[in-house]
Amino acid sequence: MPKIIIDDRDIEVAPGTKVIEAAEQLGIMIPRFCYHPALGSVGACRVCAVKFLQGPFKGVQMSCMVDAQDDMVVSTTDEEAVAFRKSVIEWLMLHHPHDCPVCDAGGHCLLQDMTVSGGHGIRRYPGKKRTYHDQYLGPLIQHEMNRCIHCYRCSRFYQEFNGYRDLGAMQSANQTYFGRFEEGILESPFSGNLIDICPTGVYTDKPSRYFGRRWDYERSPSLCINCSLGCHTIASSRYRKVVRQEARLNEAINGHFICDRGRYGFSYNSLKQRPRTALFDGQTASIDEGLAVLKQRLQAIVDTDGSAAIACAGSSRNSLETLAMIKRVSQARSWQPPAYLIDDAITAKVKTAISVLDPDLAVEMREIESADFVAVLGADPLNEAPMLALALRQAQRKGATIAVFDPRPVCLPCEFTHLPADPDAIHTGFGAVINTALDAAVVDKLDAPAREFYSSLAAGEQTFTFQQTEIDTLAEKLKTCQRPVMVCGTEIVSRQTPALAADCAALLQAAGKAAGLFYVMPGTNAFAAGLLTDENVSVETLITAIEQGSVKALILVECNPLWQFPDRQRIEQALQKLELLAVTDYVNSEVVPKANIFLPTTTLYESGGIYINQEGRVQVVEPAYRGGIPIAETGNGDHPPRIYDSQIPGVEPQAAWQILAQLIDIGQQINANDLRTDIQHWLIKSESGFNQLPGLAQIPPLGTRFFQAPNSQKHFECQQPNGGSTDDGRLEVLVTERTFGTEELSAYSACLQELANAPCICMHSSDAQQLNLNDGDQVALELNGGVIEARLQVVENMAPAMLIIPRDGKLNWQQMETGQTRIRRDQIRKVE
Amino acid sequence: MKDAIEAVKALAIGFATTFKHLFRKPITEEYPEYKRPLPARSRARIILTRDPDGAERCVACYLCSAVCPVSCISMQSAEKEGGRRYAQWFRINFARCIYCGFCEEACPTSAIQLTPQFENCKNDILSFVYEKKDLLVDHQGKDKEYNFYKYAGVATDVGQKGEHIKEERPVNIKSNLP
Amino acid sequence: MPDWIFGFIILIVKLGVVLLALLLLAAYLVWVERKFLARLQIRYGPNRAGKFGLLQPIADTIKMLIKEDIVPAAADRFIFLLAPAVVATTALMMFAVVPFGSHLTLWGRQVPLVITDLNVGLLYIFALSSLGVYGVAMGGWASNSKYSLLGGIRGAAQMISYELALGLSLVPIIMLADSFSIVDIVNAQANYPFIIVQPFAFVIFMISAMAESKRIPFDMPEAENELGAGYHTEYSGIRFGLFFLGEYVHLQVLGALVAVLFLGGWRGPILPPPVWLLIKMILVALIMIWVRGTLPRLRYDQLMALGWKVLIPLSLINIMVTGAILLI
Repeated sequence: MPKIIIDDRDIEVAPGTKVIEAAEQLGIMIPRFCYHPALGSVGACRVCAVKFLQGPFKGVQMSCMVDAQDDMVVSTTDEEAVAFRKSVIEWLMLHHPHDCPVCDAGGHCLLQDMTVSGGHGIRRYPGKKRTYHDQYLGPLIQHEMNRCIHCYRCSRFYQEFNGYRDLGAMQSANQTYFGRFEEGILESPFSGNLIDICPTGVYTDKPSRYFGRRWDYERSPSLCINCSLGCHTIASSRYRKVVRQEARLNEAINGHFICDRGRYGFSYNSLKQRPRTALFDGQTASIDEGLAVLKQRLQAIVDTDGSAAIACAGSSRNSLETLAMIKRVSQARSWQPPAYLIDDAITAKVKTAISVLDPDLAVEMREIESADFVAVLGADPLNEAPMLALALRQAQRKGATIAVFDPRPVCLPCEFTHLPADPDAIHTGFGAVINTALDAAVVDKLDAPAREFYSSLAAGEQTFTFQQTEIDTLAEKLKTCQRPVMVCGTEIVSRQTPALAADCAALLQAAGKAAGLFYVMPGTNAFAAGLLTDENVSVETLITAIEQGSVKALILVECNPLWQFPDRQRIEQALQKLELLAVTDYVNSEVVPKANIFLPTTTLYESGGIYINQEGRVQVVEPAYRGGIPIAETGNGDHPPRIYDSQIPGVEPQAAWQILAQLIDIGQQINANDLRTDIQHWLIKSESGFNQLPGLAQIPPLGTRFFQAPNSQKHFECQQPNGGSTDDGRLEVLVTERTFGTEELSAYSACLQELANAPCICMHSSDAQQLNLNDGDQVALELNGGVIEARLQVVENMAPAMLIIPRDGKLNWQQMETGQTRIRRDQIRKVE
Repeated sequence: MKDAIEAVKALAIGFATTFKHLFRKPITEEYPEYKRPLPARSRARIILTRDPDGAERCVACYLCSAVCPVSCISMQSAEKEGGRRYAQWFRINFARCIYCGFCEEACPTSAIQLTPQFENCKNDILSFVYEKKDLLVDHQGKDKEYNFYKYAGVATDVGQKGEHIKEERPVNIKSNLP
Repeated sequence: MPDWIFGFIILIVKLGVVLLALLLLAAYLVWVERKFLARLQIRYGPNRAGKFGLLQPIADTIKMLIKEDIVPAAADRFIFLLAPAVVATTALMMFAVVPFGSHLTLWGRQVPLVITDLNVGLLYIFALSSLGVYGVAMGGWASNSKYSLLGGIRGAAQMISYELALGLSLVPIIMLADSFSIVDIVNAQANYPFIIVQPFAFVIFMISAMAESKRIPFDMPEAENELGAGYHTEYSGIRFGLFFLGEYVHLQVLGALVAVLFLGGWRGPILPPPVWLLIKMILVALIMIWVRGTLPRLRYDQLMALGWKVLIPLSLINIMVTGAILLI
C-alpha cells in the first residue's frame, strides 16, 4: 500500500491509484478535464498538473498519469504548478466563444469553474476565434462545437465505454472536430451521458434546452422507474415541473451513467393532459367526494354480491407502499386477492426467480463488469434493461465472454456469441454448454442433487439449431473462467428458465467457480409485486373472474392492463361487464376514460416511495418537489397569473397508498410519514416475504439488498420444459420490449417517441423466403381481434419459425387471443 | 485642572458651532418643489433595454436573478425563432427590490439597467410587480453600442457561425489539411 | 355656594386647564424640538403639515391613535399594557405641585395658582419621578424582547443613579428656602433667583434632569443604534404615544422645576405669571434641545461614572459649602 504526501497530508492508497484519485480521497480537487473515473486517464488536457517535490521523480507532472508511490511528496499549490495550470486554461480559452449567457452548461460547467478559480479573465490573444458548424444529433442532444476544448471525453465515452462508432473525432490538430460523419440521430441509447460527461457545453440537454440554470433547480436524488434495474438519478425540478434527470453515481448499480430511457422517461410527470382532479361519472369532484362515492358504491356491491365481488389490481410500477396497501385493503375488506402482474406465467416466473435468488449467488450489476463469462438466458439487455448492456460491454472490454441464448435478434454494443434459441431451447442449449464445460471428475465430488441436475442437463433433447462447435467454444471458455454470471430474463422465457439459471449458477459455484446470478424482471417493482402476489393470481385471472361474473367491481391502482394485455377485445368487454370500474393513476392512461370513478395520484417525484429492484435492493426515494400544476401551464406560456394565493394549484392528488388507506379505517387520522411507517410495520408483521425488510431509517442512500431466508436447499429442483415445441408449421409469436416505445411511462416522453423507430415486426430470413416477403415490406397479421400492420424486418440473427412483435403503443398489437403463442403462416400477408 | 479647562473649552466650541448653525440658511432641498437632477448612473427603476438593432437584449441567462440578494427577479427563458434565447416572461417585484444594482452589474448583455427614475410609489402592492411589457423600453439605456449576439458565436439571425466579430470561417471537417 | 363646592369646581377647572395645557404643550414641544433641532442641523424640520408644519403634532397624534396596537404574542400582557400608563401618569401627576402664579381673586375668594400646595412638594416630585422608573422597567420586561429588556435595565439603573444627584443638588435650595414646599421656594426667590447663588446646583440639576428624562446625550435606554428603540421597541400606536407623551411631560416638569427652583418661578415683570413660567420652561427646554443637538451619546460606563463619580461628590461638596456659608 503506497503512502503518499499531498499538500502536507499523508494518505495510504491502494496500489495503482493515480495521484489525482489519492488527492480526491483527501478531499483535494485537482482540476481535470480529460480524466474521468469511469473513463480513466489519458493525460490529454494537461490541466491536472501538480508538482512532485520528492520521490521517484520531481517537477511538474500530470497527476492523472502518475501512480501513487511510496515517498512521493506532491504539492498541488506549488507556484510552478499553479502557473502551469493557469496557462493551460488560457490556451483552452483561446477559442472558447463568449456565449456563457446563452449556454445551458453555464452554472455547472467544469470549464467555467476552472477558468474562474484559475484566475483567467481577460483574453490576451488578439487573433480570431476558430469556429465550427454544429450538427443535428437527434432530439436529445444539442451540439455546439465552438465550445469544445478537445478533452476527448465524448469520443472516449462514446466509442470505448459505450461501444458505438457513430460519434468520434475528425480532422486534426487545432481543427479537431467531435461529431458524426453525417448529421443524424445518435445510435446509442446511452447518448444522453455525453451531456453529463462533457466538461463544457458542447453537448447540452435538448428537451430542457434554455429552461433554466442548475442553481435554480431543485435537485433531488431520485430513481429511474423505467425498467427493473432501479438506476440512481438526480431529478431536477423547477417551477413545479421536472425538467431534467441526470445520472447519480451508484457503485452498486449504474455507476456514473444511465440510459436515455431513464434520463428522459420522466415527461409523464408534468404533462398537460395529466389528470389532476377526481372524476365520477364524468363529473369533476374533490378527492374526498370521489372517495365518498367510491365507498358508497363499493358498499352497494358488497350488499348485493358480497365483498368477494370486488377486486383490486396494481402493477409493477407501484411503489412498495402502494403494493402493500392494495393487499392490506383487499385483506381487510375480504376482497379477491389482488393481482399485480399481467398473467400467470409472468407471476410464476417472477416468484420462482425471487425464491431462488440466493444471497450467495446474487450479484450487483456492477459486479457483472468484473465477470469473465456472462451467459444471458432469454434476456435482451439493450431493450429490456439498457444499462445491463453497458455493464456487459465493460465485462467484455475486460476480456469476458458474453454468450446470449435468446430467440430475438439481440444486439449488444460489444462482441458476443449469439445463440438464437427459441425459449425452450435455451434450456437445452445452455445445459449442453454447462454439461460440456464441467469435467466428470469435478462433478463426481458434488452432492447428489447437484449430480442429478448435472446429468439431467445432458438428457435434454437437442432441439436447438445452432452449431455444436459454438457450444464447444463456449464450454471451453466457461471451463477456464473464474467468475461466470448467469443473466436471466423473466419475460419471454419458459417457466423453468429462472430456476435453470439459478441451478446452473449453484452448480458452477459447487464446482468451485465464483458464479453469480442476475435476473431481469418486468417492471420497476416486479420483485416486490412477486413477493406480495399469490400464486395463480394475475390480471388475466381477474379478467376470467369478471367474465364468469364473480367479480363485479374492479379497482385499478396505477395499472393499465390495456397496455400489456394481448387481447384487447376481451379486456374491453370484461371492463364493460363490470358494475364499477375505479381507476387511480397519475397518467392519463387508456383506462382513465373508461372509469366510473377516477382518483388522481401523485408520481414518484411528488411522493417518493420504496422500490425493490430486480436484485432485491430496497431503495427509498424522497419526493423531488411538492407537486402542483407547472407554472408554464398556469401561466399559459406567459408570466404566472397575477393573483395572490396561498394554495399551490393542482396539489390535490395524493399518493395511491394514501388514497387506499382511506378505504379502511386507518388513513384519516395519521399523516403521510406515520402511514408509511405503519405500512412497513404491517408488511413486516403480516407478509412472510418481508420479515427482514429494514426500517426506513436504516436504508442507506445506495439502497440495501434484502433477501428472503437463503434458499440453497431449493436449488437443483429445476425441471425440463414440457416440450410442446412440435413443429406444426406455425410461427411462434413473441411480444417483446424495445428500448424506446414499449415501456409505458417513458412512452409519454415526446423526445423518446421521436427516437422510437416506427415499430417493425421481425422474422428470420428463411421464414421470409418461404412466405415470399422482403425486408421493408409492409405486412399485415390477420388475427382474431383485428389486423396488426407494420413494416417487416428480415434478420438473420434470430431463431427461425418465430415472429417478433414489439409491445409498442403505436402498433396496436393487442389483437391476440389470451395465451396465443402461434400464428399460421397464411395469417401473414403483404400489404401493397 | 488643565483637562477640565480643555473639556469646557471643547464643549463651548461645540455649543457655539451648533448655535451658529441656527442662523444659517438650511441646505435642505425641498423635494416635490425642487427635483435635483440625478446622475445617469443613479440606481432606481429597472428597465430592460434593446440592442442597437432594436431587438431585446435580454437573453434570460438568470444571472440577475441569481445575484439578486432579495430574489425579486424571476423569469423563464426560451428560444425564439431565429435561435435567440430570450425571456418568455420576466418579472421584477419592485415591492421587494432594494435597488442595489447587482443585477445590472451581473448582466452580460447590458440588458437590465437601473435608471434614475425613482418616483414609482403606489398604493396597490400588486402593481409593484412589473412584467416584461412594463420593463422593456425602446432604447439602449446607458450602453449604446453593445450587441451580445454579434460576439457570442452562436448561430442566430444576427449571424451564422463564423460571421460574428473576430471569428474565423468555420472549419472544414472533411478536409485533411491542418 | 358652599366653600367646598366652589373649591371642588375650581380644582376641576384647574386640573382641566393644566392637563390641557400640559398635553398641548407636550405636543408642541415635540414640534419645537424638531424645528429647533432641524435648524441646529441646518435643516427645515417639519414644514408640510400646515404653515411651518404647525399641524404636525396633530397629524402625529392622529397617526398614533389610528395605528394598530400590537401586543407581542410572548409579552406579559397585563404589565405590557400597564407600563406606558405608569410612565404617562406619573409624569402628569408631578405637575400637581408646580405653582404657576401667586393667586387669583374670584368672586371674593382667593384661588392659589397651584393645584395643590404640598408642604413636601419636592419630595412628592422625587417620589413620582422614582415611580416613573417602574414604567420603564415594566415596559422593558414585559415586552419579552432582548432589546426592550436591555433598555429597561439601563433605564432603571440610569434613573435610580441620577435621582441621587438630582436630589442632592436641590438640598442647598431647600436649605436656602427652609421649606420643601415649592410655593415657599418660589416665594423665597422674591428678591433674586437662586441660580445666582447656586450656579453649581443649577448645572448639576440640569445634567441630572436630562439624564432623568433619558434625553440625548443620556438616551442609553433607547439607544437606537444598539437597541432598536430600547424599552419601547415592541410598542406601537397610542401605547408608544403614551411613552412619548410621558417623556415630553417629564421634560416640561423638569423645565418647570428648573424655572421654579432656580429661575424664580412665575415671577417676572409686565407679563402675567403663568406666561413667565411658560417662557422659562420653554427656555430650559430649548437649552436641553441645544445640548441634544450638540453632544453625542455617552457610553454606558461614562454615564455611570459621570453620575456617581462627578455629580454626586460635587453636589455633596456644594451642600457642605452652602451649609458652611449659611452657618457663618
